[in-house]
Amino acid sequence: MKVSFNELQGLSRKAFSGIGFEDGDANDAADVVAWMEAHGLDGIAALKKGLDFLLNEDKSQPPELIYQDADLCVVDAHNKTVLGHASLAIELGYAKCRARGLSVTKIRHCHNRMLIVGYLSRIARRNMSVTAFWRNAHEPLTEILVSFKAGDAEPDICMYSLPSTPDDTEPNDGITLVMVNHVNLLPDLKPDAPLNDLLRQDRDTMASWHERSLVEGIEVDAAVWERLKTQATKMLVEASDGSRQGAGAGTNDND
Amino acid sequence: MFSATSASTLENLRPASEVMKLERLGSMFASRLSFVRSLMRKMITERWQITNTVFDLDSTGHGLAVYRITTPANCYHCVIFSRDLAPEQRSDRVIAEAWDVTFALVEGEVENSLLEQMAANVPLQEAGRQHPRVFVISRANKSLRNFSQFVGALAAGQQPDPAWLTAVGYLYRTTAVYGNGKFGIADFARLERNPDFNRPFAAQMLAVYVLRQFSIEQLNHLARVQSLEQAVPLHPELQRYLGVGNSTGLGMAPFLINHPQLIQQWVYGRERALASAREEPACEQTHTKLRALMARALNHLQQTRTEDREQTLRNLKTTGSVAEVIDWLDRTPAHQALYEDLIIWAREHCSLEAQELINTMLIELYPELVDSLDDELGCQESMDLQPDMKARQLKDLINQKFDWALTYREDCADDNYWFWYRSVEKEEPRLGIRGSESGAEKETALAIGPRISRCHTKLERFLERNPNAMVVEFLMAHPEQKECVRRIQTMGETPYGEIRANLWHRDMKPMHLLRTKLSFFGASRFDPKSDRWVRITLFQGAPLPCELKNPEFSLEQLDDWGFPLEPHIETGKTHQAFKGGAS
Repeated sequence: MKVSFNELQGLSRKAFSGIGFEDGDANDAADVVAWMEAHGLDGIAALKKGLDFLLNEDKSQPPELIYQDADLCVVDAHNKTVLGHASLAIELGYAKCRARGLSVTKIRHCHNRMLIVGYLSRIARRNMSVTAFWRNAHEPLTEILVSFKAGDAEPDICMYSLPSTPDDTEPNDGITLVMVNHVNLLPDLKPDAPLNDLLRQDRDTMASWHERSLVEGIEVDAAVWERLKTQATKMLVEASDGSRQGAGAGTNDND
Repeated sequence: MFSATSASTLENLRPASEVMKLERLGSMFASRLSFVRSLMRKMITERWQITNTVFDLDSTGHGLAVYRITTPANCYHCVIFSRDLAPEQRSDRVIAEAWDVTFALVEGEVENSLLEQMAANVPLQEAGRQHPRVFVISRANKSLRNFSQFVGALAAGQQPDPAWLTAVGYLYRTTAVYGNGKFGIADFARLERNPDFNRPFAAQMLAVYVLRQFSIEQLNHLARVQSLEQAVPLHPELQRYLGVGNSTGLGMAPFLINHPQLIQQWVYGRERALASAREEPACEQTHTKLRALMARALNHLQQTRTEDREQTLRNLKTTGSVAEVIDWLDRTPAHQALYEDLIIWAREHCSLEAQELINTMLIELYPELVDSLDDELGCQESMDLQPDMKARQLKDLINQKFDWALTYREDCADDNYWFWYRSVEKEEPRLGIRGSESGAEKETALAIGPRISRCHTKLERFLERNPNAMVVEFLMAHPEQKECVRRIQTMGETPYGEIRANLWHRDMKPMHLLRTKLSFFGASRFDPKSDRWVRITLFQGAPLPCELKNPEFSLEQLDDWGFPLEPHIETGKTHQAFKGGAS
């Protein structure tokens, strides 16, 4: 089914509230999913993948700051989705970058990492260059690099798999963010890099996708839509004769 | 599109502590910056054309009508479906499922496939899936008494008594007008960059305006059906005096609270207009015009009828005050500081409504200073955190700009009396009494004042332990405060900021919220049906489509339609048929 951007954003917001997100997190998560989908980055598919996980995770445990100095911070998301738990870590990196010119933020143990791109667009809008890097855990080992130029609405995204797996025992479930205040860090692939399955998505493609979403609407999976509606309904109050009085309508609709 | 924080300072802007009080906002009147006035001016200056292209109604007035709207660069269509409505289905509430008419404004041509899609979905309104080329959907119910009186009179060759339109100023009353991506229709982002509709609610207002024209033509059609020989069309003066009703309830409130940057931009626009007018020296000509405008408004308000006791008292108080304003103007000759003297005098002697009416009329005097603000009432809405702000600066900001919110008392029953929620019935917004009605655990976060106060309390405690911390560190300790903090940071930078009221307080009047928004729309004839439900009229007195491109009328003449008065028509007398309506 086709929906509008506002509809996707609005229903997602209500659904995240129904799932138990605080208002700010519900708004951010909804903006992220809608932004990703409108830019051709499969926000709904990412949400669908993580929805069961989201429904069952403990919302009461916020991400934990385990190290920080003037330029660097390390946050443990405790195996939660980035939707509800990454924004403050990103904002901490932003604050450090404003003070120091460059900051590095590491978010450890998080899920649905692709969705972080939606929030990073806000950082770029606030005139900060930001680059995110992470590795997917499955075979073949894949690296993803997302880079926003300061002020740009869309990023450059570069994804490729490595021809051989390095000898590394660390789990690949984190993200590294580099923010820079005065210059732009943009991906520049080495010409001799032996990369497989190279996939590049540039700003123009994403801008065209966004344009098309506005004109034609956004195609969504009807089953996901129904699941979101079910979650959104949790925030609605059952009707009764008493509650109908609460709307305050007159008793006579004729004149 | 402007940032909500962009502010060029005018020295005599009224302070937010005065303007943003809910009671004052709820006393405002439509002004020349209201959206219906702004839309009409654009239509007049750009010579928009509205032409009926399909009028396929049966003898009961049911069927299909299509209107083509041509602007300098684009064309649109308003497609109207008129259906039979069983009396038991007639309801103004959002929970209704059928209406006398449903209609939609669509971009571009209406090819057959689109018309079929619309015929299957527009009548369903919220239950349908609308096409992405549709900009607006809406529905309306008849004013049965006016309809039957008017059809009867015209069929008998007589003009209806204008007093009917003074009592109820419309034949149709809309019950919701949806835009901005609802139910699959076009997103706000598409309207925002469309020069025809980039002003707030312009597309919605156009759809309502076209419904007005349809109501006139449907009326004439039904009169002809009843008596082809005798029937006369509605007199042009009555056509002009006919508006479109709107029935609305608490649904206005969430919009006002959830779009604070937009609301502040509307207020800021109006206040800049007022500040510019107040800086002008009064002369004989403007003194005379101001008096004439106040006299017309007095007459209009005296003609306004409502069954609501409180609004009747407010109207009486206002008309009493306006009469005194006219006396004051009669005994005070034009002089340099006339407007300031009037405002100071009114502050002591007039009701809030009368004070705001004076402001509306001062704005009316200076189109050359005011009308460019039509294009500055929209804004980019985005609330961003300033994570590197010091937490103590945030506290200072709250103390300086949100002191009104800190009067909230956690342990006071009156301060926590109401809660706002959405019903499972079409998500209708409702008010409940905390502690005696169920649903408070699902309340919607509309009461910004108490939220800011709670945030302030947590911030004070946090600062005792972390005096040099940044805002982001406060939020890592209190992540549930993120939305509130970025709202404080964003709205704290705007000239007017938030509506200053505790929306939980026992004495809070929801009607003030409704009227705030409706006055910016350009509503007249406020007719409350309860403390949270009101009927109003839009476009009463507005020029007709056929007049928009008539070179005999100047912009000034056509634009002067606020506070319309009952026309003098010789009723009961047979009138000859004339060519009226859309052309």
